[in-house]
Amino acid sequence: MRRRSLLIAAVATALVAGCSGSGGTDSAAAGEPVSGGALTWGIETEPITLNPHQYAQAKARLLVWNNFESLLTHDDKGGYVPWLASGYEASADGLTYTVKLRTGVTFSDGTTFDAAAVKANIDQLLADGYAPAVAAVQLKNLKSVDVVDASTVKYNLTRPDVLILDFLSSPQGAIVSPKSLKEAKNLKAGGTDLAGTGPFVLDRYTPGQEIHYKKNPGYRDRPAYLDEVTYRFLKESSVRVGALTSGQVQVIEGVPATDQAQITGNPSLTLSKGLNSGSAYSYYFNVTHAPFDDIKVRQAFRDALDVDTVLKGVYRGTATRAWSVIGPTSPLYDKSLEGTYGGNAERANATLDAAGWNTRDADGYRVKDGKRLTVRLVQSAPFVRDRREILAQAVQAAVKQSAGIDLQVSVVDQGTATAALEKGEYEVFDNSRADTDAGAALNLLLASNGAINRLGVQDKGIDGLLDKGQAAQDATSRAAVYRDLQQKVIADDSLILPLYAPADQIAASKKVGGLQFEPTAGVPGSAYTVWLSK
Amino acid sequence: MLRRLATGLVVLWAAATAAYLALLAAPGDTVDSIIGDGADTPLIRAQIVREWNLDRPAVIQYVDYLWRAAQGDLGRSYLLQRPVRDVIADQIGPTLTLAVTAAVLGILLALVLAVTTRRPWARRVSSTAELVLVSTPSFLIGIVLLSVFSFRLGWFPVSGDQGVAALVLPALTLALPVAGVLTQVLRDGIDRALDEPFVVTARARGLGERAVLVRHALRHALLPVITLIGWLFGILLGGAVIIETVFGRPGLGQVTLQAVTSEDLPVVLAVVVFSAFVYVVINTAADLAYLVIDPRLRRS
Repeated sequence: MRRRSLLIAAVATALVAGCSGSGGTDSAAAGEPVSGGALTWGIETEPITLNPHQYAQAKARLLVWNNFESLLTHDDKGGYVPWLASGYEASADGLTYTVKLRTGVTFSDGTTFDAAAVKANIDQLLADGYAPAVAAVQLKNLKSVDVVDASTVKYNLTRPDVLILDFLSSPQGAIVSPKSLKEAKNLKAGGTDLAGTGPFVLDRYTPGQEIHYKKNPGYRDRPAYLDEVTYRFLKESSVRVGALTSGQVQVIEGVPATDQAQITGNPSLTLSKGLNSGSAYSYYFNVTHAPFDDIKVRQAFRDALDVDTVLKGVYRGTATRAWSVIGPTSPLYDKSLEGTYGGNAERANATLDAAGWNTRDADGYRVKDGKRLTVRLVQSAPFVRDRREILAQAVQAAVKQSAGIDLQVSVVDQGTATAALEKGEYEVFDNSRADTDAGAALNLLLASNGAINRLGVQDKGIDGLLDKGQAAQDATSRAAVYRDLQQKVIADDSLILPLYAPADQIAASKKVGGLQFEPTAGVPGSAYTVWLSK
Repeated sequence: MLRRLATGLVVLWAAATAAYLALLAAPGDTVDSIIGDGADTPLIRAQIVREWNLDRPAVIQYVDYLWRAAQGDLGRSYLLQRPVRDVIADQIGPTLTLAVTAAVLGILLALVLAVTTRRPWARRVSSTAELVLVSTPSFLIGIVLLSVFSFRLGWFPVSGDQGVAALVLPALTLALPVAGVLTQVLRDGIDRALDEPFVVTARARGLGERAVLVRHALRHALLPVITLIGWLFGILLGGAVIIETVFGRPGLGQVTLQAVTSEDLPVVLAVVVFSAFVYVVINTAADLAYLVIDPRLRRS
């Protein structure tokens, strides 16, 4: 069997989790790194669980890598670099991945990190009822895991799946001490009794208030600069900003457009922004019934909306427009889609006339066969963020004015939203995914049997491209497959209306150095690289 | 006493059952709320159903819940994956501290204001302030207090359950509207009591105006306030949801909010039963307080 070695390297972990290029923020004022000190960081979201295997909130990702590490991690070009691994090889048929592990690594509870520990984590992930979403999505194509020797693990797949590398770099793929897996009191909730290999140790969690890490003195590499770091849960953005400007916290994340002027106008503070990976925030048209089963109506809806104007109104020029379902920072992004559609009310009206929606009722909405051109968007209140409900209202006003389309927006509780989705009582579905590999997001959103296929699309062409993309080991050919896919769903079939690329913001005192966004993921990074100048 | 206990138990059972039925009637089922906006496939659903024994009929699940609850087992949170007892126990302390401090602060403030602002001009100023406080959302009061006393002056920390300093602003935010309502009720009660014949008698005995006010009129005016204690508790718990979010304080309010929005049934039920329990206790205490304040009630 011909083996193609992709990467065998011992890249210093400092480089990996650390200062890899474009992810950094402006920290010139903080000077050279210094050790010591305690940092307080105000964050928006309290994690539902502290067990990385159960991770489901992109907003909680900045916590995970403080005390846990996975076998690989992302570089900033869409590739992978070893982390707890020392290298890996894929077989030519793409069915076997052999991962070499670092030696001499211990968990913070003293347990040794080795192949058996990695296997124990996979066994746990596949245990019934433990992590159903991981087992059904990320590990869907995993047949078995073999311990070759103490520092070598072999992943056997049922079909070629390059996304296994994305899993190995994900929080769900983080390696937890096998001792903790056996002994933790509330394993799925996680907490101080879950040991990892990371540069910090979680030593205190006060629900509703804060989470506290202290430096892991036994870390295998350069120890963390900070002695301790406290993350305070401050859900209100104005409170976070106030806490920062008054010096009660040194860093915050999550600064909405309305509050950014307060930071940029303050000479002792810095503000930086990172675009998230995954799928752009988009409207998905439900093609299973009228009116969006007609491609003309889908095209007209996109033409009726001037996305730039709407974004400017709602986000005051801080949002980055999306042109594809894949986020603009992804190596799979198809730049050629930019400027190819939308913002043409005249064409929208002509298309709708041609599609038979050529009369208007008393309220100015278009009508066909006595039925108004009404489409419904149902938003689940607990998951509405980034003022998406306001954005929806702006879209509503715009499409009414420019083309007489009646977009009905309702923000409801989760149960009502799920019920509406299940009964198909919606025409527009809104979503963004923070998957590090956009391909993983598209598998869920576009495949005929996709777990979040709210388009209702059943298309062999799309499924074929997704399969090819998942099997393509070479970066160039993989990008080509996804370019075809984006051309099909965005340009040819008008299935999706991409709106903006979700972003994260970090605001900090200039005394804080080394703050950065995680490469590829684009979310705030861990505290490992951060220091506090004296 | 035995009858009171039995009534209390019935109230607890009724509260739990009503909450159970309400959640059952809410759209979407338990599996939906556990899945949230994540991946949704038949395989994932099947695992969730197995994990939580959701394939049993609703009646069986209900009876099973009551049976376990009677033995002190409140179950496990769907969302947080921890025993409900741990989730709640961690959070009761901070919320009670906040609620009791706010209640004491509110009542004291009301007493002082009602007694001291008897002159017409003071009265006008005070009642305007009360009206403003009562009609301002506590969210706004909290943000204003924070901007002034924490962000600008730096007297108090913004967040957390860290000693007395961190308690001042949230307790004040919660106490101000309460004080607003109680002052109005008290002042009205004092006004009415001062018109009563016994006040004339007291004055005739040579009692000073202050003594008449505090020893006689205030005592009469307290009765309606005691009746409001049950309401007060509702306000404090409801207010805690917002205050705890604004101030980043741990507490039942945040737990409740999260549990309700994600339909985390075991936690919601536990919070409802706990609230009903406190309500029963407080109303019993209020009944007893009547006897202390009003000797006429003791005979019956």
